[in-house]
Parts: sequence; C-alpha cells; structure tokens
Amino acid sequence: MRGVFPFAAGLAIMLAAGWVGFPYAIYKSRPQPVDFSHKVHADKAGAKCEDCHAFRADGTFAGEPTLDKCSSCHAAAMGSTLAEKNFIDRYVTPGREPEWESYARQPDNVFFSHIAHVKRAKIACETCHGNHGSSDRPRAYQEDRLSGYSRDIWQVGERAKTTRASMTMNGCVDCHRQQGLSQSCLDCHK
Amino acid sequence: MIGPNKNIRAARYGMTIDVDRCSGCGACMVACAVENNVPPANPKATDRTGLTWIRVYKIDNGLPYPETRSAFVPVLCQHCGNETPCVHVCPQQAVEVDPATGVVGEMPQRCLGCRYCVAACPYHARYFNWWDPKWPAGMEKTLNPDVTPRMRGVVEKCNFCHGRWHAAKQQAAADGKPDTEPVEYTPACAEACPTKAIRFGDLNDPASEPAQAAKNGESFRLLEKLDTGSKIYYRSKREWVRQIANAPHPAASGKESFHG
Amino acid sequence: MKSTRRDLFKFTGGAAVGALLSPAPWRLVTDTALWSETWPGVPRPATGEIGAKYTNCSMCPAGCAVRARTVNGQPVALMGVAEHPFSHGVLCPFGLAGHHLPYHPARLKQGPVAEAKAAAMEALAKCGKGERAAVLDLRPGRTASWTYRRALAQWTDAAYLAPPRTLGGVVAVNLAAAKIVLSFGAPVLDGWGTLGNAIAARDGFRLIQAETVESRTAVLADVWLPIRPGSEVALARAIAGLLRKEDNSSLQAAASQTGLREEQIVEVARELAANRPALVLDSQERSEILALNQLTGSLGRAIVTRRETPVPDSWKKAAAETELDAVADRSIRLLLIDESVPGAYVPWSAIERKLVADNPVVVAFAWSRGGYGRHARFVLPTAVYPEGVDDIPPAVDSPLAMFRLSNALVPAPAGVVNPAEFVAGLAGISASDALRERSDAIAKTGRGTLFTYADAKSARAKDVKPDDFWKALNQGACWMDDPPPRTEIPKLASRRATAPAAADDLPFAVVMADAYALPCSPILSKVYQESNLRLAANRAALHPSAAGDCGVKDGCRAMIETRSGKLEVLVTLDAAVPKGVVQLAAAASTLELFASSARAKVVRI
Repeated sequence: MRGVFPFAAGLAIMLAAGWVGFPYAIYKSRPQPVDFSHKVHADKAGAKCEDCHAFRADGTFAGEPTLDKCSSCHAAAMGSTLAEKNFIDRYVTPGREPEWESYARQPDNVFFSHIAHVKRAKIACETCHGNHGSSDRPRAYQEDRLSGYSRDIWQVGERAKTTRASMTMNGCVDCHRQQGLSQSCLDCHK
Repeated sequence: MIGPNKNIRAARYGMTIDVDRCSGCGACMVACAVENNVPPANPKATDRTGLTWIRVYKIDNGLPYPETRSAFVPVLCQHCGNETPCVHVCPQQAVEVDPATGVVGEMPQRCLGCRYCVAACPYHARYFNWWDPKWPAGMEKTLNPDVTPRMRGVVEKCNFCHGRWHAAKQQAAADGKPDTEPVEYTPACAEACPTKAIRFGDLNDPASEPAQAAKNGESFRLLEKLDTGSKIYYRSKREWVRQIANAPHPAASGKESFHG
Repeated sequence: MKSTRRDLFKFTGGAAVGALLSPAPWRLVTDTALWSETWPGVPRPATGEIGAKYTNCSMCPAGCAVRARTVNGQPVALMGVAEHPFSHGVLCPFGLAGHHLPYHPARLKQGPVAEAKAAAMEALAKCGKGERAAVLDLRPGRTASWTYRRALAQWTDAAYLAPPRTLGGVVAVNLAAAKIVLSFGAPVLDGWGTLGNAIAARDGFRLIQAETVESRTAVLADVWLPIRPGSEVALARAIAGLLRKEDNSSLQAAASQTGLREEQIVEVARELAANRPALVLDSQERSEILALNQLTGSLGRAIVTRRETPVPDSWKKAAAETELDAVADRSIRLLLIDESVPGAYVPWSAIERKLVADNPVVVAFAWSRGGYGRHARFVLPTAVYPEGVDDIPPAVDSPLAMFRLSNALVPAPAGVVNPAEFVAGLAGISASDALRERSDAIAKTGRGTLFTYADAKSARAKDVKPDDFWKALNQGACWMDDPPPRTEIPKLASRRATAPAAADDLPFAVVMADAYALPCSPILSKVYQESNLRLAANRAALHPSAAGDCGVKDGCRAMIETRSGKLEVLVTLDAAVPKGVVQLAAAASTLELFASSARAKVVRI
C-alpha cells in the first residue's frame, strides 16, 4: 500500500489537474457584448432562425446580423429591460456594430457552405449549433488561450443536448463519411 | 481522404491554350495573383524564387536575328491525371487528385515544406514560399476572402481557382440545382486573357472547348512523352512550337536562361 | 516515514500516466499546431457581403470599362465589362491590379498646399513683361483640361501646354476600317489605343510590324520586318516613292539602312497599294511616316476627324493650346504640372529651358514620387485611380467622341488636392461642378448613346434626362457620340522633326520596349521580377555578345551613359536583342535620357 501511494498520488493529482484544472486554465471567458435573448425574439417577435441569419442571393451565409437588422426594430426601446437599454445606448445610438463572438468560428482556411447543408442536406440548425435558438441568455464565450478558437468547437457541452457532433475537421469528416459523400480536401478548404 | 462518390457526374476540368493567340502580356499572371492572394515579390526574389502560379514563358525558333521568331507559352499546373508526380512524392498527403473534378488540389495548410513535389513536378509549376507574404500597408484590404493566404515554408500552386469553384457551387445551391451536376465557372486567368487564348471547361463535356481541343489532332500537351495525363491542351500551327513542347533536348545552360 | 528518491520517481511516473490519461497534453499539441497556423504576419482577408461597383479605368486614355468585385464596399478584384461595345470586357495587366494603387508604397498623402498656393500667387503677381504662367497638362481633353484653359484665360499671355500629339485629339484612328496596318513600332496589340478594340478588330486587317526588336505585337503580327534602329524614316521614304511610282532612288538607300532586302520593301508597298485603306502608324508620330497615310487611302476612312465631346458654351472662350516649342525661352514664371494621371512624357530638359532664370515656381500635382516631382519645387498629392472622380478623354483608336467618368470606388485620403480646383482657385473661377456642367451639356445635345454597365443596356441620350444621365455616369456608364453627319477628311499636323544630336562615340542604339509603361501595383512584380516577361524600368537588355564587349554579366549593375545623362541599370542578356542595341523600358527615368538622341554607352559598374 505504501509503495503505491506516491504513484497513486501523482496519478490523482495530474488527473485532477488535467481534467479539472486544465480546462479552467486554458480557456479565457468573456460575455457577449449584448445580453441577447433568442427566446424572447422567437416567442414575442415570432422570429425564426432565417429571419436574422439569412442567406444572400448568391448563396453565401450572412452569419450574425449586422446592426441595421436590429435597428430596424430597436431604434427606440421596445421593452423595459436593462439589456435592451444598454444595447441601444452602446450600439444603436452611436451606430457601432456589436462585437459578437462567434462560437462556431472556423480557421481562415476552412470553406463551410451553410447553404449546402441547410438547403440541400436539410440539416437543422440545432444539429451542429445546439440549442442556441431557444436560449434566454447567451452563454459566455470561452476562448482557448493558445489557439484562439472557441471551446464550442471541441466541447460538446451545452450542445450535447441536441448533438454529439464536434465542429473540428474530424466531426465534419465523420458525418460526410456516414452520408457517403465524396470528400476531397478542396471541398472544404480554401 | 478521397471517399466514395454518390451518383455525382464527375467533371474533368481542363483548358485549351492557343499559343498563336498569346501576346505575352501577362494579364493572366496578374489576375491569378489578385484572385489567389499571391503577394508581391520579396525584394530578394528572382524568377527562380518567385510565386507565379501561372507563368508566361517566351520561346523561339532557335534561329539567330533577324530570322528569330518567338512565341509565348503560359504554363500553369497541368493537373496531371495519370500517375500525378507531386501526389506520388508528397510525404504528407498534402496534395491529391479530386475524382469529382480532376483538379489536383494543393493543401498548403498540410504541407511541411520538404519541396519534394517542387522537384518532382516536370513543369516547374509548384512554388515554395521562401518568405512570409508581405503586402504594403493597407493593401491587405484588397485580399480575396475566398482564398486563404499562405505563410512561409509551404508550397502552393494553381488549383484552377477553387475560390471561384466554391462560389459557383454556392450559387448553384442557391439556384436549386442538384449537387450531382458539376458547376460551370471561369478561373481568373481565362477570364482576364485579352485575346481569349486561355479557355477553360469540362473535358467530360464534349461540347466544351477543351474537350474539342483534346480530340483535335493539332493540339499538343507539354512533355507528352512523360504521359502525365495533363489536362491542358495547347494549340499552335507552328511546328517548332510543338517541338519545343516535347523538350527534344536537355536545357542548354545559356540558351534557356534568356527566355521567359 | 521518509520519502526516498524512489518515491519521487513513482510520483513522477504516476503524474506522467495521469497527465497522459487527461486531455491536457493532447490538447496542448493540437493547440500549438493551431497557434502556429495563426502566424501573426499573415493577414486575414476581411469577409462580408460581396457586391459590385462599376467605373472606367483612368490609368490610360483607353478608359476601359471596369467591374469591381467588392467586399463590404472595398474593391478586391477588377475585371472588364464583357458587353461594353468598345472595350469588350478586356483589361490589361496594369488595369487588373489598379485597385491596389491607393496603397502603393510610393503613394503621396501629404504636401505643402498652403506654401505652394502662396508661392504661386506671389509668382503670378511678380510676372513681368514677357513672363507668364503656364499649365502643363499630361492628359489633355479632360474636363480638368478645360478648367485649366478657362483659368489661364484670366491671365495675360498664360500658356496651356500639352504633350504634342498628331493622333488622339481632333484626328483619331478607326481600326475597324483598315484592311492593312503598317506599324512602325506602335504597340497596336499591347498598349496602344484600347486593347479590347484592337483585339476585336484584329481579324479584319493584316498587320505588318516594322521594328528592331520583336515586340509582343510583332509576335502576333502577320509580318515582322526586323529593321535597324533609326531606319524608320528611310523605309517610309522608300515606300512613299514606290506608292507614287517614282524612280527607285530611295529604295536602295532604304534597303541598306534597314537591313531588309529590296524585294521585301517592294512587297510591303505592293500590299499597301492592294489593300486600301491601309493605315500607317508610328510609335513616335513622325510626320514623314504618318504622311504615308495620304498615299494609302486611309484619310477619311481609317484616320478620321473626331468631333469633340460637347462642352458648355460658356467654356468656349478658354485659352487655346500652345506648343511648348512656341513658348519663348526663359519666360515661364509659374508652371503647374498636372501629372495626376499617366500621360505622354515631356522631357524635363525641354521644359527647364522655358522657365525664368530667377526663382521660377514649379508645382507638380502627382499621386506618387518620381516623375516631375524630382524637379518641381512643390509636389502636391492627388487622388489616384480608383479614388478620384475624373473624366477620361476618348482613346486614339475611338473614331467617335466618348465621355466616361472614373468613379470614386474608395475614399481618397484627407490631404489630397484636386489640381483643377487648385488652379481654378488661383484664377478666381469655380470648377467644383465642372464635370456636372459638362455632363449636362452633353445630355442636352441629345446626341449619342449612353451604355450603362450594371444592366448592360443602351439608351439614346435624347431619351435620358440630364439628372439620370449624370447619375448613370457616376454609377458606371459610357456615352458614345453618333457618327458625324458629314465625313471631314482630316489633315495631319506636320511636326518639325528635331535632328538627333551627333553621337558616333556612343556604340549602342537604344530601343524602347513596352512603349507604354504605367506606374502600377507592386503585384506586377510577377511580370517584371518573378519572371522575365516584361522589362522592368531598372533593367537594360543586351545581346549576349555584349558580355564580351562590355564585360557585363546577366544581372550585374551597369551605367547607361547618353548625351543627356546617365542611369544605373541591371543587365539582362537576351539573344532576341540584336547586337549593337540596348533595350530599355519606357519610364520617366529612361525617357529623360533620350531627349536628344537615341544612342548610349554601356559601362559596367
């Protein structure tokens, strides 16, 4: 027993450090610039995903909506929440674009075609992005200090409620393989 | 990473280049650099160490002045379909032939910079980034978002304008076209060529110009004797041009360096 | 219990196993790889909405129609407008990278505007008898040119100067009407006129290119006549003699001077006579050579009179154009040089003679260093394509008048000056609405057609209201005149040829390559430095035998010495350049050297 103790101690300490300490240390967390409630917009405003996250005529995906989309309704306060007041004061009035952090941001050399997945493969938004769309508050954005990418790419976490897919290259390749699609490097890289 | 195809009608993108129409202006070289975010030359770069995904060479009939007659030959990656040399030698599998398009796709992101492929390519169509890319201050605003810039230490080459191919596929999806059909698009060099000497198309489509050039007995490919299955069909009425294309004799040290 | 070293090893072992069983080391490896890919020096292109903006390229008088691909409004690529009835969607290598110019490292952004203005006003006040102000306009025919002429009309004896030209103003060329073209070095298919037009018209004429070194145009021509440098006029004389069916006295002289056989010259003359109208062009517009057009039936058909693009009537009282030669020496006290857009180069030595000896004020308006900025007292920065709004006069090969604007696709930096407004301000006239006034004047004539680029549609100008006319021009359009009701046979101006200074001690004849060298984007290193496709302005091409004669090697430094000065170059050995000839690229630095004679010595450094 005594002979095993140092080994076990070392093992236990590093396991704890690796599984608990490391994720805590490697990620830098910050909140989104606006305390945006998807739930409120879906329920009260009756908005669907594609109302704000739209495709353009040439098939490219507009991603996060720009300020003019929000200003079209929120030029003046529509409710009485502090979050909306802050938004109008900090962004609408001075005409400044909110600096949204994208949970799904991919490296610059990745070409991901939303329209191929949404329109052709008919994949639901939740399959890859999780249940963002029904959240009441945006999750804090957790960024890996070394690589600069979001924890969401790796971690299944919150998204595990609707998907087990990660957004790393392996995640894409696995699904493509299952669907029997041809995978060539240039299909997804630029 | 090539997986099984569904019922995709495969394309074989290729080109036909009419040497008798090429004026040697270099518009193709500039348009390619603009489209693919190829940086301006490092001050120390020469014609051996530069990045010219497409390069126009000047060749001549070998006679002395005033009987010299010249021609201009644009050379780019030939997208070899048979025993592709660069694919064979790459230790990283950073380059592959896409069975759905025939394009030999180079992945600078995967390359480790051994330059074996640069040596293996018989057409000298692969280029190594000896330096980090540097654009003058502010010029990085003019970069094309559809193509990612490369860092130093990796090899790059023509991919038949994959950025434009991606855009064409997105447009096809937006237009509701089925994904089993190959898309039509034009690479930057073919679009920019003032005399339309460079024409691009699907070799599997019998109506396309490259397909017709391929069947035409007057067309020739570079270094045909190596049987690389090049997808670029050149045309010229001049016999000495066709002769040079097959490199009948090894490079004479003085002569070759004077041209292009 | 004492802990021993063994315990330590066990602890370390357990820690190692624990670490490997945790995600930490694996993530660190991947993260490091990812971190190495986000190398700080490599820029990331901005993403955003892809759009299009339309303009016309102002880098040369061709003014080809341009479609800019924009990302969030910023142009990232340029291409032609395929449906344009004159430029046919063609852009040259320089135009394809024009959107880089605002970020050119040599680009000027600041200048001594207030000092220049004060000095100019002082010089104007000081103008004594026989002294004058002058404007040198490198690209005449623009609305800005009219502004200069109107401003100069306010002052006594002021001179409006422009580079002399025989073709490209009132007299223009109609390539489509020519059955055969004999070009003495004019780069018909590579920088002369409008590239898209020349290529579209190419199949309609036979092209004979007479020049020393086989240029790009010569490679595509039907016949290349390799003639010795300096023998062009002799060849033209012999052909004129043959066309007039005179005796063959000049034929023998031409054969010996050019190095051609007499039968070759006779054949050329025969072809010109058999394929009328035959157009004769010359890169230097020598009168003796252009005069051949009077014998070949091209006047009135391939060489035509072109109506001027309409101007408001109130402008017509403006100063006339003066030849630099006609201005008295040492009489210009204030000289304003507009080199904001590239144009023909007038050697500084020819200008310097005309300036007063004591403290002349020379103000150059330029977008980059180099050019006249090297000689002027004040250099004021201007907007550069595609920042500035300027109109582009019709090119030499447009038989009809045109009006098109180069639009502002990106904003110009705050310190730039509009040269026309500066000069107008000095003269006390208003010029800020000049382009609008001219647009209205054209719309009101009801003449011509307006072609808009965004929808590729044509409309008769008389069906477009002046407001919409102006709006369309600003969004990318081109107005083309109707053919005139009567064909007026043009008269070719006769220009006195200056006899070249004697230079027998200089062994090399100089031949210019790439006769139209534009200041251009650094990306053109693809053709100048990363390949040998085009000759860079700092290079000289020599036959390899010069290696022995001058002791130079490929890539070594050398000095080109001429009667007018010296220039340091790098040597390129090229067997296509005949012995005894040195080939240089046309640029301000090289053109300056050959004002008096085209001969040089090459000395290794």
